[in-house]
Amino acid sequence: MRALKLEFYKIRRKKIVLMILLLLAAEMMWAFMSTSVSISRNPDHAVWASILFTTASLNGLFMPMMTAIIVSRLCDMEHKGSTWKLLGALDVSRGRLYAAKYGCAAVLLLLAVVLQAMLMTAFGFMQGFADKLPAEWLVRYIGGTLLVSLAAASVQQWISMTVRNQAFALCLGMLGSFVGLTGGLFPEAVRRWLIWAHYMDLSPVTIRYADHVATFVTQALPPDIAAFTAGTAAACFLFGGLHAARKEI
Amino acid sequence: MSAATIIQTNKLTKKNRVHELNLEVREGEIYGFLGPNGAGKTTTLKMLLGLVKPTAGTIRIFGENLRSNRSSILRRTGSLIESPSYYGHLTGLENLRVVQRLRGVPDKNVEEALRIVRLEKHRDKKAEAYSLGMKQRLGIAMALLSFPKLLILDEPTNGLDPAGMEEIRELIRSLPGRCGMTVLLSSHLLSEIEQIATSVGIINEGRLVFQGSLESLRARNRGEIRIATGDNAAAAGLLMTRGLRPETRNGRLVLGSLADRDVAEINRMLVDRGIPVTRIEERKKTLEDMFLEMTGRERSL
Repeated sequence: MRALKLEFYKIRRKKIVLMILLLLAAEMMWAFMSTSVSISRNPDHAVWASILFTTASLNGLFMPMMTAIIVSRLCDMEHKGSTWKLLGALDVSRGRLYAAKYGCAAVLLLLAVVLQAMLMTAFGFMQGFADKLPAEWLVRYIGGTLLVSLAAASVQQWISMTVRNQAFALCLGMLGSFVGLTGGLFPEAVRRWLIWAHYMDLSPVTIRYADHVATFVTQALPPDIAAFTAGTAAACFLFGGLHAARKEI
Repeated sequence: MSAATIIQTNKLTKKNRVHELNLEVREGEIYGFLGPNGAGKTTTLKMLLGLVKPTAGTIRIFGENLRSNRSSILRRTGSLIESPSYYGHLTGLENLRVVQRLRGVPDKNVEEALRIVRLEKHRDKKAEAYSLGMKQRLGIAMALLSFPKLLILDEPTNGLDPAGMEEIRELIRSLPGRCGMTVLLSSHLLSEIEQIATSVGIINEGRLVFQGSLESLRARNRGEIRIATGDNAAAAGLLMTRGLRPETRNGRLVLGSLADRDVAEINRMLVDRGIPVTRIEERKKTLEDMFLEMTGRERSL
């Protein structure tokens, strides 16, 4: 807990929260405009599912980039001042410091996802959606988005801690965004291995097209994809932590 | 009673960098770890802190094995390795707070460390705006923060101007008496070690070529006898009949180390044969000459 608090102490003046807010503002404005246009064309879309689906699909583009930026900023400060060497020579295990950094990234991502949920709720009330606020969907949305982001963060942190030049980590984030945006175009067999494509898979709502008509439908949590995403998060976190702890400084 | 051994390494080895090093640092010493650039000093210090894994050999610090008691040893050790480490976006005080929180030391230590390195007036300035000397002093303050029993400093005066170097040296010199610390200090400057250290270890190409007090290093320095005569050629021939092998250098006959009575005998013999002796002198090598000889570097390091 002490190491986690220290991570938040260390990121003061880094303007990470400001960057999160800017990215979130861009994403949510896009989501709200897109949903508003959709509602104006088809009043049946004035339901909670429409904003949930739109935001989940945009998460594929925005969240990998946001995750890469958060993690990269957290790790870069250790590279820039050679402070990993300083911390490594203290009586604190490097594994614990690595976990604290991941914990800090997780809290910031949770903050972003919860903020998204709050903004969607506000948008829904402002639009006067016909159906009742689906609390269960919101919880599933927060959980699913966070899970995929945590998996992406574990990969990003491994890269950011290993490779000093953060351009590599940011490129991976951009690649993740590309995969997240175009994930739906990949064949199922390929997509299931791409963690960034799972924002839509773990969303409580999806869309079905039949006879040129798009309909929002509830989708059950796919256990294989959820398990794969959680497994990737755990494995990359563990191996990344072990690597950071054993690497010679 | 002899002081306790604080650091003891046994055949400490890092492949291609350090070979079978047997270091011994005793309590209360300022141990100067001297060697040219690339000799293996930093690698050795990193092994002592567990930042680099040795290929072979053992390290005992405070009588405990580093491998099995790393945490307990590091709790009592402060260090500054290579360039100072700092968070540029944080102030000097905030940087110290980071270490303070991880070390779990009281607030008064932060104030004391700032006072010792004379950074009180710059405590609220961002570390990235510090001069190199101030960054170095901040690094030392971080190392001092828990007032450890052992302080490991890797070339702490690197890149400083002469005034800054003297300031840091003065600070290091005061630490054993002021805070009861043992200091292990690396440098590639003999003059620096000569001014600060009480013991010295000389490393070259990863091998320890000397270890002991500065006095014992000086004692290894046996002088050479130089004789100037009115006829060096005749004098040299005469000396060779006595089994000596004089070399002629700068108009002097240079002999190895000789006892006083042998010098008197040579003088008498030359004068008896009518060769005027104009000068007899003993020349000792400087520590620098010895260091350059030991490290096989005859010119600048």
